[in-house]
Amino acid sequence: MSISTLFENYSEYRHIHPVDDVPHNPYKWAMAIDLDACSGCNACSVACYAENNLPVVGREKFAHGQAMHWMRIERYWDEDGREFPDQGARFLPMMCQQCEAAPCETVCPVGATNHTPDGINSQIYNRCIGSRYCSANCPYKVRYFNWWDYPTTDNVWPAEMNQQLNPDVTVRGKGVMEKCTFCIQRVTVAKNDAKTQGRLVRDGEVQTACQQACPTSAITFGNLVDPNSTVHRKWQAQQVELDKDEQTKDMAEGGSELRGYRIYEQLRPFPSVMYMERVRESAI
Amino acid sequence: MKDIREDIAWAQINKDVLKSLENPRKLYWVILFIAIAMVGVAVGCEVYQYNVGLGVGNFDNPHVWGLYIATFIFWIGMSHSGTLLSAILHLMHADWRKPIYRFAEAMTTFSLMTAGLFVAVHLGRVWQIYFALPYPNMRQVWPNFQSPLLWDAMAIFTYLSSSILFLYVGMIPDLAICRDNMHPGWRKKLYTAIALGWEGTDRQWRNFRITYLTIACFLIPLAVSVHSIVASDFAMSQQPGWHITSFPPYFVAGALYSGCAAIITLFIILRYVFKFEEYMTMSILKKIVRLTFAISMVWTYLNLVEYATVWYGHDEAAKHLLIQKATGTYAPFWWTMNFCGSVVPFIMFFKRFQTHIPVMFSVSLLLNLGMWLERWMIVSPTFADGYYPWTWDHDQWPSFVQWGIVFGSFGWFTMLFMIFCKIFPSVSMYEVKEMVYHRSQATKKLQATGKLAATGKGAH
Amino acid sequence: MMNSDFDRRDFLKVLGWGGASVALAGCGNGMVENGKETVVSYVETNDYMIPSISVYFNSTCAQCDAGCSITGRIREGRVLKLEGNPESAINRGKTCGLGQAGVQNHYNPDRVRSPLLRTGDSGEAITWEKAYALIGEKMHGVSGDEVAFLTGGMSGHLKVLLGNYLDSIGCKNHVVYEAIAPAVVRAANKKSYGVEMPRININRAKVVLSFGADFLGAWVSPVHFSQQYAQFRKGVDGQRGVLVQIESKMTITGANADRWLVVRPGTEGILAFGIINALGTQGLKLSADIAAAVKAYDKERVSKDTGVSAEQIDKIAALLKARTPSLVLAGGAAEGYAHGSQNAAAINLLNHVLGNVGKTIEAAAVVPFPQMEPATGNTAALKKLNDDLAAGKYKVLFSYAANPVFTAPGAMKFKENMAKAGFKVVFAQYLDETALQADLVLPLNSPLEDWGTQVPEYMAEGAQINILQPLMEKLHPETSGMGDILLALIKQRRAEDYKKFDDYYSYLRTALLQNKVALGGAGNADDDVFWNETLSRGIIKLPGATHAALSGKSAVAGLSLPAPASIDAQYPLQLIPSVNASLRDGRNTNQPWLQESPDPMTTIVWDSWMEIHPSKAAELGISEGDIVEVAGKNGSVKVQAYLFSGIHPDAISIPLGRGHEALGRYAKGYGVNPFQILDVVFDKETGELALHETRVKISKTGERVIVVKDEGPVGGRQMGQKIAPKLPSDKVNLSGEI
Ligand SMILES: Nc1nc2c(c(=O)[nH]1)N[C@H]1C(S)=C(S)[C@@H](COP(=O)(O)OP(=O)(O)OC[C@H]3O[C@@H](n4cnc5c(=O)[nH]c(N)nc54)[C@H](O)[C@@H]3O)O[C@H]1N2
Ligand SMILES: Nc1nc2c(c(=O)[nH]1)N[C@H]1C(S)=C(S)[C@@H](COP(=O)(O)OP(=O)(O)OC[C@H]3O[C@@H](n4cnc5c(=O)[nH]c(N)nc54)[C@H](O)[C@@H]3O)O[C@H]1N2
Ligand code: SF4
Ligand code: SF4
Ligand code: SF4
Ligand code: SF4
Ligand code: SF4
Repeated sequence: MSISTLFENYSEYRHIHPVDDVPHNPYKWAMAIDLDACSGCNACSVACYAENNLPVVGREKFAHGQAMHWMRIERYWDEDGREFPDQGARFLPMMCQQCEAAPCETVCPVGATNHTPDGINSQIYNRCIGSRYCSANCPYKVRYFNWWDYPTTDNVWPAEMNQQLNPDVTVRGKGVMEKCTFCIQRVTVAKNDAKTQGRLVRDGEVQTACQQACPTSAITFGNLVDPNSTVHRKWQAQQVELDKDEQTKDMAEGGSELRGYRIYEQLRPFPSVMYMERVRESAI
Repeated sequence: MKDIREDIAWAQINKDVLKSLENPRKLYWVILFIAIAMVGVAVGCEVYQYNVGLGVGNFDNPHVWGLYIATFIFWIGMSHSGTLLSAILHLMHADWRKPIYRFAEAMTTFSLMTAGLFVAVHLGRVWQIYFALPYPNMRQVWPNFQSPLLWDAMAIFTYLSSSILFLYVGMIPDLAICRDNMHPGWRKKLYTAIALGWEGTDRQWRNFRITYLTIACFLIPLAVSVHSIVASDFAMSQQPGWHITSFPPYFVAGALYSGCAAIITLFIILRYVFKFEEYMTMSILKKIVRLTFAISMVWTYLNLVEYATVWYGHDEAAKHLLIQKATGTYAPFWWTMNFCGSVVPFIMFFKRFQTHIPVMFSVSLLLNLGMWLERWMIVSPTFADGYYPWTWDHDQWPSFVQWGIVFGSFGWFTMLFMIFCKIFPSVSMYEVKEMVYHRSQATKKLQATGKLAATGKGAH
Repeated sequence: MMNSDFDRRDFLKVLGWGGASVALAGCGNGMVENGKETVVSYVETNDYMIPSISVYFNSTCAQCDAGCSITGRIREGRVLKLEGNPESAINRGKTCGLGQAGVQNHYNPDRVRSPLLRTGDSGEAITWEKAYALIGEKMHGVSGDEVAFLTGGMSGHLKVLLGNYLDSIGCKNHVVYEAIAPAVVRAANKKSYGVEMPRININRAKVVLSFGADFLGAWVSPVHFSQQYAQFRKGVDGQRGVLVQIESKMTITGANADRWLVVRPGTEGILAFGIINALGTQGLKLSADIAAAVKAYDKERVSKDTGVSAEQIDKIAALLKARTPSLVLAGGAAEGYAHGSQNAAAINLLNHVLGNVGKTIEAAAVVPFPQMEPATGNTAALKKLNDDLAAGKYKVLFSYAANPVFTAPGAMKFKENMAKAGFKVVFAQYLDETALQADLVLPLNSPLEDWGTQVPEYMAEGAQINILQPLMEKLHPETSGMGDILLALIKQRRAEDYKKFDDYYSYLRTALLQNKVALGGAGNADDDVFWNETLSRGIIKLPGATHAALSGKSAVAGLSLPAPASIDAQYPLQLIPSVNASLRDGRNTNQPWLQESPDPMTTIVWDSWMEIHPSKAAELGISEGDIVEVAGKNGSVKVQAYLFSGIHPDAISIPLGRGHEALGRYAKGYGVNPFQILDVVFDKETGELALHETRVKISKTGERVIVVKDEGPVGGRQMGQKIAPKLPSDKVNLSGEI
């Protein structure tokens, strides 16, 4: 009630990650995405629509850059001016990187986008006033704003189609920001289950919707704190560390034999998503 | 050079200024009507946007900000005119400011009020705007004090309240004159109430001077901080084109620049509409013009510094953005901005244009066009060419809703300003009297010492 | 349960077990699976329906024919999300985007909600009683020869029941038509390996050489192959698998290749021979007949014919020789020609030469119930139907799960010919183009509210029968399952035989229980227990299923490849109608998630486009967004241009699946339908429509649009940033990876 809480509690209310004094315990959710496995098939993206009540905006709005795909599959070509793309394309599933020092968080005037103690960049729709500063400051541009009131827009969720909406996830009205949440609703259920059973969430117990669908199992999700989790072991094998802005791979002279990297390390957002580079056969 | 007559009678001053409260030229009503119509356009657009969603403004991802934020900065900048003329020049004892500082202060207040509206208009959920205020609450949910937007909100709020106070305090002696000269009616009642029983006693004058000076001293750092903080909205972010160390001084310079240019515009309009030729003299115009020119050169210098540091720096993203600004979709606007901001002011370099009303009127408008474009060129290109190439988008164009609201904001400002000038004395009577008095004293002194030949005009 | 006055033989036939090669009694084990308590049968709803607690029911994805098993998440009686069922060997818990959108098929606002009778140009809602009465009336006195029943690919008990119905009316005209099925490859496989659909093991191959088989996109069983592919990339014996894709238009599989080679359209077989020749040159021992057959295909000639450089041919041969086993696939792009069978045979020959048969190509498990095996079909069947319709042969036409008015080449004039049938009944979930031509439209349940069994055409590992069960109550009271409709129709003829079955559900239950032991249930197990377990699993894994043996034949006799077609001066470009993994033949286009799911190559949404190589575009002065008219001998379409370097300069490509004039709000009016302008050329051997044989010319219309796509104005460039880098395989050590 008093203004003193503002000063006394403020450091707890907002702190920078990663930090030593408030370590992630017992959870730090993270991902590893193998770009050599990813085929660019878009199943993850559709699964995200299904799980997270994403509106289909239609041709006109998509044309205006108002698409709401939390997970977008980017397709890159080799840029050496060849006549034909004879080493194929490179696909990159891009969604919120759940930055540890998230550029979006610091700028939100109302603290609507926030860091959870288990390392997810959360988005509180009710709190968001729609200033869009977070999106302006996100280097990856993975935040999607509700320019329209999709729940009341024709043919977004017409009768019957609205019955598919996931009751565990809010349907966002106009004027709020949204983005990939690491399927927080699934994480929460798993954490609650574990808590009632007096244990920690087991590796593989919670899958994100994109991970679950992915036909090539390119996406791994889990608890980075758990030394036995697949995601932890993958990060470790690639010598990628959460709180560093330069990894072994970047530092090695002439490259290393590792594939793990994070996008825009140099900006120091400390993303929670590690990608593993696409490989192309040198013998052909 | 024609200046204020030193022999003008104090009663005449009262009469001339009070006349502006009674019967301005017809043009006044034309301007007021147009201004109100413009506000109507903006209100219509805002109602539409409020009901349907910001999508009607044709924003997109990543172009999440558009004209609103650009115009917000523009109006904040504009507000620096009053502080500059009133407070800075007051402290510097530049007495030529006296006939014009009142309207400049009014400009400050009204441009802040206009800027404030853009904060609201811009929000996706304006109905929740109070979330951004640090009000005590049960759940101990506070706004995010790390966010420059919050600093913004607080700085603007402080600046606005201080400006209103400054404007009001400075007006008290004049309000008493109004009170004393008004026929009974609602106005007389109003002036009686807000003149706070001013009698012009020595004690009142002494307290008044101290108060006014104190607020003036307080206002200067505040003004500087306000635009520095607006600059922080950008400089504190990581985005190319925004993450620039020189932004705070650059923003302040730009603010003073557009503020001065706007003073020239309004000077010319008021002078004509309210028949203030006697007070708003060519000599004053010349001084503002010279000041404006000086500031334009500072702004130009800071611009060049920014271009040079970006060009020779190693920030590839920022460099790419600069090249895009000069060659991409925004190039026509970017070049126009540089032309208006750095080339057009050279007209003011020539003496014969400094007091040429039509030329100066056009130049002042061009300067502010440039300054508005500057704000747009700060905001939008960074969205079009931010870090992430996949999301680059060069084709975004604001819809009529955005343009309508920006357009209407000029009407809103003009409307407030015109109403103010009709209700309150827009030329400070007491300070003009002071100025005339001091000048005539000085002249007398010079004449007495034989340093100045008697012109036959001085005595009365 | 069953009255004994019923003849056992007939009974078996009724239930679909007639001719079953598995004894109807015998040993078996329970396979009661513990664990997933929440995977339950919908039959016992009441116990499990706790508000806010989700329950999960297993069923089968019906979005395509691959037969992935799905688990539906149901809350408060509504199905919310579909996931893959991990128990299925086909998809192992995974789904594709198309599969995810199954819920949008179910909840689609444009579903037909009651039987519709067409009177003139308008439809009138009627009752089911009236609809059945009408069919009875129209069928009265009509001989079996005067009735045709058109369906898409079908299997399981629905196929059985349909067969029985057709028997009951003495009709032999079951026309199975799949617009984009790999029919030529099936036939070629039958010749090369002795089976139409062998099991292929991408995951065991060190090199995959694919001639236009889009196995990561739309080919046969993409989710299954995607999983194999991921294993293949991780490596066999520590050696990362190498994918070489050869095609004229890059598919998503091509985009994932280590080497993508553009080939002159139609010369895939020549290239296959060239590679065999090069293998021989490099010392691989070829049998005399093969050596003789490929003798003329030296790399210089092949290079000239195909446009693939001699150096590349050598490299491929060297790679194939060095890394075994490998796997060579013939896909849609190779088979789409008048000589498609020859192409496919030449490509399959490579597998024999390389010794892959029996290693990466194996015999697939088969379901021992022939009546339930998938009925596959092709355009050859449709052509005959079309000719017969034109001749006015049919008084009654039934159509189910096919939309030939949309998918048959316009030049076949199917729509006009269909009008000649006396009475047309279309079973449909939507008023698609074919349903609009019907006299009577009967509304179907969605697959998520229906019962059924399905036998996948491509069997992964052991044989399995997939179960479809309702994941929730019917959304619309007046829709019906196809099984129920067939049962009602059959009762019009053989009421006595089928009177025991109130509905398709009881039929299905009886049928499965009858064969409990062969289906893996213990002989003495309680029927209810067996039934509930079966539904809980959603899959019946058949114990001891037999594998069809591969014949291992590598015949070259009769294999002759035509020289590359010369350029037609009037129609200089080859039209490649491409198959998009989400939209396929267009039946799913009314699902908005799919419309808004960007095409992986172009990232275009909600519209059609024409891919053209930048060099050709420059030659013709075409830039992105130009509306061009693509005209062939059989009509033209106007479509936006997209410059795409993954295509042969002498070819253009337009995706199939869009350009609907009906179907629903999300499909109608979006894009163009290239089926309509196809040349009617058939594969010489199989009679299958040669999808890639259309020749066109293009001209600018002068109109321009902004292409609606996800990629930005810099396209697929990273602008010097490290966003999606790439490593050469010799610079990476995969062995330490998790
Ligand atoms: N729109 C709408 N409004 C409603 C209702 C509705 O249906 N719709 N329902 C109405 C009804 S029926 C009710 S009962 C009210 C409920 O209204 P509230 O009583 O406001 O309900 P809660 O938010 O559940 O709980 C209040 C607070 O108690 C805290 N709390 C929890 N446990 C403890 C504890 O052990 N000690 C202390 N000190 N605090 C604790 C919680 O953290 C929370 O901050 O809402 C009413 N308002
Ligand atoms: N998860 C969760 N559970 C809770 C609580 C919570 O905070 N969270 N809060 C608990 C508390 S404090 C309460 S009081 C209970 C409330 O629990 P319920 O009483 O179940 O609450 P409601 O859902 O508000 O209302 C029940 C139904 O009454 C219907 N209704 C409305 N008006 C009328 C009417 O005039 N006549 C009739 N016949 N029906 C009407 C509504 O449409 C609704 O379907 O929930 C408890 N359970
Ligand atoms: S990726 Fe963007 S939205 Fe996500 S945490 Fe980082 S800055 Fe925020
Ligand atoms: S849009 Fe919402 S979440 Fe983003 S900065 Fe503004 S208030 Fe915060
Ligand atoms: S983690 Fe969840 S929210 Fe994020 S992209 Fe995947 S499915 Fe969407
Ligand atoms: S589902 Fe998997 S393979 Fe497909 S695009 Fe997403 S990450 Fe890549
Ligand atoms: S491949 Fe996709 S659409 Fe086809 S059955 Fe499997 S999940 Fe369904």
